[in-house]
Amino acid sequence: MTGPRVVGSAANLPTTTFGHRSLVWWGTVGFMLIEGTTLFICAASYFYLHHRVSSWPPAGTPRPSLLAPAVQVVLMLLSIIPVAKADRAARQLDVAGVRVNLVLASLFAIAMCVVRGFEFAALNVRWDTNAYGSIAWANVVAHGTLLLLETAETLVFTALVFSPNLEQRDIAGVSDNSLYWYFMTGSWVILAAIVYLSPYLS
Amino acid sequence: MTATVAPTVGPGRVPEPLPELIGQLEQTWRDEPGILGWIKSVDHKSIALRYMITAFVFFLLAGLQALGMRAQLARPENTLLGPDLYNQFFTVHGTTMMFLFAVPVMQAVGLYFVPMMVGTRNVAFPKLNAYGYWTYLFGGLFIYAEWWFLNSGPDVGWFSYVPLANSVFTPGKRADVWAQGVTFTEIASLAAAVEIIVTVFKLRAPGMTLNRLPLFVWAMVVQSFMVLFAMPWVATATQFLAWERLVSTHFFDPTRGGDPLLWQHLFWFFGHPEVYIIFVPALGMVSSVVTAFTRRHVFGYPAMVLSLISTGVLGFGLWVHHMFATGIPQLSESFFTAASMVIAIPTGVQIFCWIATIWDGRPRFTVPFLWVIGFVVVFIIGGFSGVMVASVPFDRQVHDSYFIVAHFHYVLIGGAVFPLLGAFYYWFPKVTGRMLGERLGRWQFWLFFIGMNLTFFPMHQLGFEGMPRRVYTYLPETGWGPLNLLASIGAATLAVSVILLIVNVWSSLRRGLPAGDNPWDADTLEWATTSPPRPYNFALIPVVDGRGPVWRHPEGLPVFGGLRTDVRDVLLTTLLDAEPDSRHRHPVPTIWPLHAAIATTITFVSLIYTPWGAVVGFPLLFIAFVGWAWPRGRDHREQQVIEAERPVEVAS
Ligand code: HEM
Ligand SMILES: [Cu+2]
Repeated sequence: MTGPRVVGSAANLPTTTFGHRSLVWWGTVGFMLIEGTTLFICAASYFYLHHRVSSWPPAGTPRPSLLAPAVQVVLMLLSIIPVAKADRAARQLDVAGVRVNLVLASLFAIAMCVVRGFEFAALNVRWDTNAYGSIAWANVVAHGTLLLLETAETLVFTALVFSPNLEQRDIAGVSDNSLYWYFMTGSWVILAAIVYLSPYLS
Repeated sequence: MTATVAPTVGPGRVPEPLPELIGQLEQTWRDEPGILGWIKSVDHKSIALRYMITAFVFFLLAGLQALGMRAQLARPENTLLGPDLYNQFFTVHGTTMMFLFAVPVMQAVGLYFVPMMVGTRNVAFPKLNAYGYWTYLFGGLFIYAEWWFLNSGPDVGWFSYVPLANSVFTPGKRADVWAQGVTFTEIASLAAAVEIIVTVFKLRAPGMTLNRLPLFVWAMVVQSFMVLFAMPWVATATQFLAWERLVSTHFFDPTRGGDPLLWQHLFWFFGHPEVYIIFVPALGMVSSVVTAFTRRHVFGYPAMVLSLISTGVLGFGLWVHHMFATGIPQLSESFFTAASMVIAIPTGVQIFCWIATIWDGRPRFTVPFLWVIGFVVVFIIGGFSGVMVASVPFDRQVHDSYFIVAHFHYVLIGGAVFPLLGAFYYWFPKVTGRMLGERLGRWQFWLFFIGMNLTFFPMHQLGFEGMPRRVYTYLPETGWGPLNLLASIGAATLAVSVILLIVNVWSSLRRGLPAGDNPWDADTLEWATTSPPRPYNFALIPVVDGRGPVWRHPEGLPVFGGLRTDVRDVLLTTLLDAEPDSRHRHPVPTIWPLHAAIATTITFVSLIYTPWGAVVGFPLLFIAFVGWAWPRGRDHREQQVIEAERPVEVAS
């Protein structure tokens, strides 16, 4: 029997970390890969169905309107400002800064959900009219689940940073939430171009 | 409070700290008592064990359906199962085997052993892990409940082709049950994939650099990435199908600009990798067993890792070969034929490396090793018929015949079930602390091996003779009777073998030999702790300085101290070099993952019947999400902990 060879100690390692040093960041990246693949599949299906027919949208189906998606894209790009600020404040453990910016982000998220409703109307086609309508709706719905999830998460975080239960390590989550937000915004810029603009190109 | 250390060291083990600290670790990490405690558990071992048992029960159910089909086909013009029931039998058999047995059971083994093999105390996201299990369980129960109680058993084949599966040809709810049931299992397996990847990336023991990872862990990482990129295809496809049936979309409807082939592309983009998703972890299991039973590290570690990765990548290139009969353009046909054959190369490399290892070592022909041998033999037969199918003209000939049934059962049973059973005999002592019976094990192996070949080998010939798959009966004049009878006798032999397995487990649990920590003298970290493992896996985190840490340190592994014992502390290390980097506090037991799974179930099931299901479901999901995410800092114990933690510097 000999004593164990202790070659190091974790006692002084930090418990709050950001970015790729934190577990939740990796989890977020994992979900972004899954969601990204899903959106890619929706977009690929869009083009697959597109290439099978000669006119897109099919004769008799109007093209989508552009106002609602344009408003949405502008909203999303503007929302990056408070979201990025919340991220920076989180990294500096500046709770007051996190609070203000998360409130702003929540307001943006709610506005974006409302505009999403108008985006459906702007497709100018029902999902059950033809395959074009089905796949256009599918893309907007698929991205809509991301938007809903991000809204829910942001609201919960906002409540959390005002709660007495707040612990230092929770603040790192704000930063990961921002990452997901960028992903949601970026993917919508691409999908909106596909769904709303590409019918004008053919 | 730091675990300061005093000696209790056995050979190759992780040393243990002072007894009172052990007591505190135990207190901190164990599940709560009682049935509620069982439900609330977030221990990866408890959850993985449930996963395995559930998957095994589904295997038995699918096996019963297989027996039913073989009984029906044992002689011409048999009337045991009518056409309608037969359709449900093969569909539910295929669906259960693929989605409720093979993929989940592989992931379950990973969820149990990956954290132990990398030397940590739990998976990266314990609540998500619990959620994944419940979702999987409810999805499986849902399919079976619909079948038994509502006569809504899926009946359009395990790949549910449209237009057969659309609402014109399949009114009623059977195809919806299939689509939503499958969606449940996809969510669960995506969750498990994220668990495994992040656990391996961030929770490895100090010093376990990527090139010291056990091959089984590599295999699980590759499989998890495949799941990540493959499952969304079938999840999207099944959602499209569900909408097609519920709200009359037209994705697959050629009269409104849709295309049935879209379904086939989406499905096989998942379906082909699916085979490798099942097979790649099995390769890892074989490497573990070969290492332990030859007492040699597997020859050619870099070649092994590269083969695993390239199997994973190539697995995605091959989906079109399932659609040769649909007339895709010539050029791409020959490309995919070539690609189908290329995948034989990485598998061949691995088989070569194992054989070289066995050659060099002194193999012990105990039961786990027998399964490895069986795997190589059966799988090579399956691979051979696969290369035949990969040639386009040949595929046209045997397409949808029993040759295909024979081929994929050789691949799936040879490539997955044999290694899995080997792994079962190998790891059972770790999980339960008892050995399985060797004699019964041999009997079981040989009955399985013989039964398997009796069942499926004759089917090659039946395929040549033109017997189509998915027929519930055939005429005496076809002359297919004798070979079918042989196949059915084989199936009965398989059943006897599975019964022997259950008897073996049962008697071992009652009076099996105690296993000790490392009964096979194996090299990976799961053997460096007790059997069964304590809730915290390792009292002190082992430090790794090479491949096969247990063999390197017969005097006891070096360890890393300083994790707290009063909260669920885990050690995070850096991605490549596994340098100690930070501490993370893991969650305590919680009921919310179960609630979230219930909310998911209500949403999906009601969506089969009405689009308003979403309106009920989403608020429920939101509530469950809040309950899940809200930090539980309120109870006294945890509050104290926060106090103690206050002055902590932040690193960014
Ligand atoms: C253990 C013994 C097994 C027996 C006796 C057996 C038997 C059968 C039979 C008789 C069929 C129906 C053939 C037809 O009418 O077309 C079938 C189909 C199938 N089996 Fe098995 N099987 C076994 C194990 C497995 C395993 C382990 C897997 C997968 C991991 C599996 C996956 C499938 C699939 C995917 C189908 C196709 C279902 C369809 O046509 O939609 N089987 N099996
Ligand atoms: Cu394939």
